[in-house]
Amino acid sequence: MSQSTLTTGFNQESFDAFIALRDEPTWLTDLRNRAWKHYCNTPMPSQQDEEWMRTDIRLLHLDRFSLPAETDDATLPTAVLSEGVTLSGMLAMKDSRVVATELDARAAAQGVLFGNLETMVREHGDLLRPHLLSRAVDPLHDKFSALHAAFWTGGTLLYVPRGVVLKDPLCTLTALSEGQVDLGHTLVVLEDDAEATLLSESHSLPGCESGLHCGAVEMLLAPESRFRYVNLQEWGRGVWHFSHQKALLDRDASLQWTIGALGSRLAKVNQHVGLVGEGADAQVNGIMFSEGRQHLCYHTLQHHEAPGCHSDLLYKSALQDDSRIVWRGMIKVDPLGQKTNGYQRNDNLILDPRARADSIPGLEIEADDVRCTHGATSGRVDDEMIYYCRTRGLTRKEAVRLIVSGFFQQVSDRIPLENVRTALGDAIGRRIREYE
Amino acid sequence: MDTFFPVARLSEIPDPGKQVVECDEQLVVLFHVDGKVYCLDDVCTHDGGPLGEGTLDGCAIICPRHGARFDIRTGKPLSMPATQPTRQHEVRVDGDQILVKLA
Repeated sequence: MSQSTLTTGFNQESFDAFIALRDEPTWLTDLRNRAWKHYCNTPMPSQQDEEWMRTDIRLLHLDRFSLPAETDDATLPTAVLSEGVTLSGMLAMKDSRVVATELDARAAAQGVLFGNLETMVREHGDLLRPHLLSRAVDPLHDKFSALHAAFWTGGTLLYVPRGVVLKDPLCTLTALSEGQVDLGHTLVVLEDDAEATLLSESHSLPGCESGLHCGAVEMLLAPESRFRYVNLQEWGRGVWHFSHQKALLDRDASLQWTIGALGSRLAKVNQHVGLVGEGADAQVNGIMFSEGRQHLCYHTLQHHEAPGCHSDLLYKSALQDDSRIVWRGMIKVDPLGQKTNGYQRNDNLILDPRARADSIPGLEIEADDVRCTHGATSGRVDDEMIYYCRTRGLTRKEAVRLIVSGFFQQVSDRIPLENVRTALGDAIGRRIREYE
Repeated sequence: MDTFFPVARLSEIPDPGKQVVECDEQLVVLFHVDGKVYCLDDVCTHDGGPLGEGTLDGCAIICPRHGARFDIRTGKPLSMPATQPTRQHEVRVDGDQILVKLA
């Protein structure tokens, strides 16, 4: 493998060198400069901060990572979400560099744009400027959003024009090699009445454990558009994973957003759905399964800014060994959000007494005619369920395995794409052990 | 895991005193009290607070967040709101070198 690195660490010298090598519109360079300034002036989050009090990043040494390196090695892991599926397009990225893209010719003829965001922003700057890091993800939210906004490279653009329906899904595959950095940005723009499905998965290459991912996902859904997004995160067990993800749904737009979080050493993800147009509808599904000393922290927000919107969030987590999962969810309803119907639920299955799950559901409601409900449960495998299974001839190990698989079924049942159900089921199956 | 990792110098920690150190990609707290050295996870079992930032009171460490107390010699909780012990690690002192074996 041959690689060259610009310079080491995220410092003024490396930022200046990075900017000097880029051929980008001035507005984007200005945006990067603002973000870099914010990064420099913002201390690392500490456990004194409410948002970070359950996530300890004192062992993260950003100075040990380098800017994404040039590579001529295009080795990629096997995609699992899209295996055997007819695709409208695919994009593969390694260490923050796009190494392959394809788009169905019919889709391209209809005006669909799908490919390397870095290239697209040069070719379609005027089209993307109103959307990129300006409406959804706030580059100045924290140190990691600023780092991402300053240095993002590679990444994915999906732009679907008005009324265009992509029946076959698109897929992105992101890979990290040992000790490398992924700063990819995903931007999805669906115009009125457009429809698409994006399957996205991220892996470390076999044998590669450490690395840093600092990314962002933005989804901008115009009135009556329909989008399904599946994200399977299987980074190596030494990867630090930071991500800001936000969808904005305009009038009568719908979103089904499914995450599978299995990888990384530590994950801190902000997942935000903004329902900004009347009648918007979002369904958010999450599957988390941790082991070892993994720490997965997901902060979700369902923000009802307009009347008559519906949001439904279901996160299911299973924990093994010394791992920890933190889910902090909020349904926020603005004064304009009358007739809101919001729901959030998080269930945790604790498979080892050393594991720990923190569920913190919250409601912040400023309208007086809404229906908002939430719930959270944490528990171990039910002895009565095991007893019932054993009366049907199963061994204890078989019974526990069945119960753990069944625990996630409620999420799987909500996913219409069979191959995605299978891929997530297989990923869970690989994680389940022979419990005593 | 049977490895003892060198983590700090005894002369760098006052008696009584404490120091947070990195040991095999984990943060632990060393306590130096009455000439002896103890080691616990830098985690309060109540809500994950950093014990190393707490106050040392004899052989007890008080979590800075909600006041839970732990026995530094055993990791056992001494007062609410903590009810579960925090992990205790084996310590060896070799001259001035403090070594820790993770539990």
